[in-house]
Amino acid sequence: MTTPTIYRDLLLEHARHPKNSGRIDNPDLQAFAQNPLCGDELELTLALSGEVIQDCKTQVRGCSICQASASMMSELILAKTLKEARQTSHIFTESLRKATSEIPETVESLRPLIDLKTHRSRIKCMKLAWDALEDCAAQHQT
Amino acid sequence: MQNHPLTSKVREDFPILKREINGYPLAFLDNAATTQKPQCVIDALVRFYENYNCNVSRGVYTLAEEATGIYEEGRKTVAKFIGAESCGNIIFTRGTTESINLVASAWSQPNLKAGDRIIVTEMEHHSNLVPWQLAAQSSGVELIFCPITPEGRLDLEVLEELLTDSVKLLAVTAVSNVLGTANPIAKIVEKVHERDVPVLVDAAQAVARMPIDVSEWDCDFLAFSGHKVYGPTGIGVLYAKNERLDEMRPYQGGGGMIRQVGQQSSTWADVPQKFEAGTPPVAEVFGLMSALEYISNVGMLEIKKHEQDLMTHTLEKLQEFTDLELYGPADSTDRSGVLSFNLREVHPHDVAQVLDENGIAVRAGHHCTQILHERLGIAASVRMSFGLYNEVPEIDRLFSALEQVRKFFILP
Repeated sequence: MTTPTIYRDLLLEHARHPKNSGRIDNPDLQAFAQNPLCGDELELTLALSGEVIQDCKTQVRGCSICQASASMMSELILAKTLKEARQTSHIFTESLRKATSEIPETVESLRPLIDLKTHRSRIKCMKLAWDALEDCAAQHQT
Repeated sequence: MQNHPLTSKVREDFPILKREINGYPLAFLDNAATTQKPQCVIDALVRFYENYNCNVSRGVYTLAEEATGIYEEGRKTVAKFIGAESCGNIIFTRGTTESINLVASAWSQPNLKAGDRIIVTEMEHHSNLVPWQLAAQSSGVELIFCPITPEGRLDLEVLEELLTDSVKLLAVTAVSNVLGTANPIAKIVEKVHERDVPVLVDAAQAVARMPIDVSEWDCDFLAFSGHKVYGPTGIGVLYAKNERLDEMRPYQGGGGMIRQVGQQSSTWADVPQKFEAGTPPVAEVFGLMSALEYISNVGMLEIKKHEQDLMTHTLEKLQEFTDLELYGPADSTDRSGVLSFNLREVHPHDVAQVLDENGIAVRAGHHCTQILHERLGIAASVRMSFGLYNEVPEIDRLFSALEQVRKFFILP
């Protein structure tokens, strides 16, 4: 059997055993994101301690890439301030947009996802959790 | 199963089928989304621009007359293809979506009032639902839904119950773009006409899969797209009966649709030009003519039989996959060449991605039918849909790729 080239072991591990899966009761911030193309849905809940993300959970109804991205994001933003999390999100988004294969150190752990950027149809799957994060950050600002 | 003789005859006509995708020959099984184009259609587009390109119904010079001749000949070809009484019943649009929007605007607005009802069905594509929502919202009309049975057919008993005096239109698809169900249109129209209710048929999926005869179906409106019947994109057809055309006001304003323009108001050109504002898609009509001539030569009954054979084979293969959930009728009667499924525990996107790695193009998502997917209790599904060039080995390749999907994604 040939292993499909776009799936890395790490991605699959995150998809099968997602980190920080579920939802926080009485979260400080909460956002929903939807992919209108396929109907996938995601809920992100955050608990803050001051500006710092103390807890982060995602509830996903989506494909393996969407699930893995949410799982990897949760690991990356935990213990960061919302501002830092948002910066990370922007760097990740930029990396998906740029043609180069260079990946900034901040988002090195997201390499398995960023490597898939040539599959343009899957970018929305990757970005669903991050869209929800942007939404949370925007709510916090206002 | 022996390969159908049709396949070997036609595959050579489609240049794109020579492509390799990810190292495998392309198996294009997304024909419900769009169909590939035979060489004659591609050539027709080039031939038009090389020899006849000109605006229509405007110039008096030779080229303009030739282009106008081609455009109007296109109307005749379409009328003949769907059994319409006259080419005056054929309006060219950009596609099925615009055809339905045209009716939802030009017919609904002058004919529907607050309190009236439109029946749509749970299996409609968004293009035969959202235009009616827009029309309903602006005029206080209510949309009601004919349900589907558990095996994915329209519940005709409920449909009869829904047909009250306030119902002014039924909008129904001839073939579901997800379930593959081929609805008994002639029977439905007969029942609905007993209550003097007009029927619009969305023939987007049916047009390339079965012979269509609007005089036999007796529908009031019929819509389809060129690109789903082996023709170019950007061209669609709306058929309307004479009495319905008389009830319609113009759709868009502009050149070509007027008789006389004054400062404050204008009068309209004759039907069907009254509904075709602006420069029409002339090259696309030329391409569509070529496509319709091509499939007529192959034979619509032949194509129907071919796709039914592929479906029978697919349904047999499905028996081997106990973890595969099929949506729509489980036998090939009342089924056209579209089939949707889910592999338990695996997201449709993941299935489609692995199939693509094997050169197999299928669709994953809700296929513009969120109401239907909600009814089925799922967010998305994988859809394979046949064209006249598909062959049994392509379907077998799909099933062996599904084995890979299963091994890869499903935990032991």
